[in-house]
Amino acid sequence: MKNLQPALRESILILTVSLVLGFLSTGVSGKGFFAPPPDTAQRNAPQFISLDEARLLHQSESAMFVDGRHAYDFGLGHIKDAINIPLSEFEVAAVLLGSIPKDKTLVTYCDGAECNSSIELAVKLDSLGFSNVRIFFGGWKEWESAQLPTEP
Amino acid sequence: MGIGTTSHGAMRLKSLLENPYLNFLLRLVIGIVFIVASIDKIADPNAFAVSINNYKLVSPGFAMFSATVLPWVELLCGLGLVMGVLYRGSALLSLLMLVVFTVAILIALSRGLDISCGCFTQDPTVGKIGWVKIGENLLLVFGSLYLVLSNKVSSFLSIFRKTR
Repeated sequence: MKNLQPALRESILILTVSLVLGFLSTGVSGKGFFAPPPDTAQRNAPQFISLDEARLLHQSESAMFVDGRHAYDFGLGHIKDAINIPLSEFEVAAVLLGSIPKDKTLVTYCDGAECNSSIELAVKLDSLGFSNVRIFFGGWKEWESAQLPTEP
Repeated sequence: MGIGTTSHGAMRLKSLLENPYLNFLLRLVIGIVFIVASIDKIADPNAFAVSINNYKLVSPGFAMFSATVLPWVELLCGLGLVMGVLYRGSALLSLLMLVVFTVAILIALSRGLDISCGCFTQDPTVGKIGWVKIGENLLLVFGSLYLVLSNKVSSFLSIFRKTR
């Protein structure tokens, strides 16, 4: 324990230098706290939608539902007419979207509130240029418990 | 006999803690792990902030603050351990960081979160959290605990001088 005092002194020194370097580097590179605000005027950033909104979009058949879960889970059951783009295979599976107009409404979902794949998928689709991406965060669990159309 | 066994055990522990080779090996391994882990985070603090935010343990503002400072703490501690500079502080901070990271992963696992670790790369599809990650972290926690308790302080080159 005789080493504790010098260890604490050295720790404080390391933390102080890290604080300075961290803010200096992000300040110079324009990242982190110094990043410019996202250009929301031109882009329609992905928005979260509720079960009711997802149901209405599904009924209107104007939106395409994109399932971000693994192919195995998709095979066990998914929202009717949804396509499967597992997040881990996004680059390969994204070719499925090649023929879809960029202004088509896409609704991403995964298991439910415990997963982030729907959000990460929406961000990736947004970066591909799709301008109307929605995130149905309640996901498969909420859809299935509401007994809305599923397949197989 | 009990006292003899105890003092014998204590002596073995003392000699283990003063072993310059074990000390050097652990410093090298843990130091390199921290240096490698810091590179991707320093290059893209925004992506690291997203990784921290995914754990749902801190506010987005604190996640961004951590993503700004933490990678540099990792880099300096890693360099400190490898070079033997500010060694005691580096070992203490390494231990604290590893304990916090391990607890964060445990909490995320107990909540059933399906997220990537954000440990070495910020690619959301790589390095999902799991019990293997907890095992890796625990090994590093024990290694850095040894370094905190070890009295041996040697610079990068002195280990080679001693072998002559």
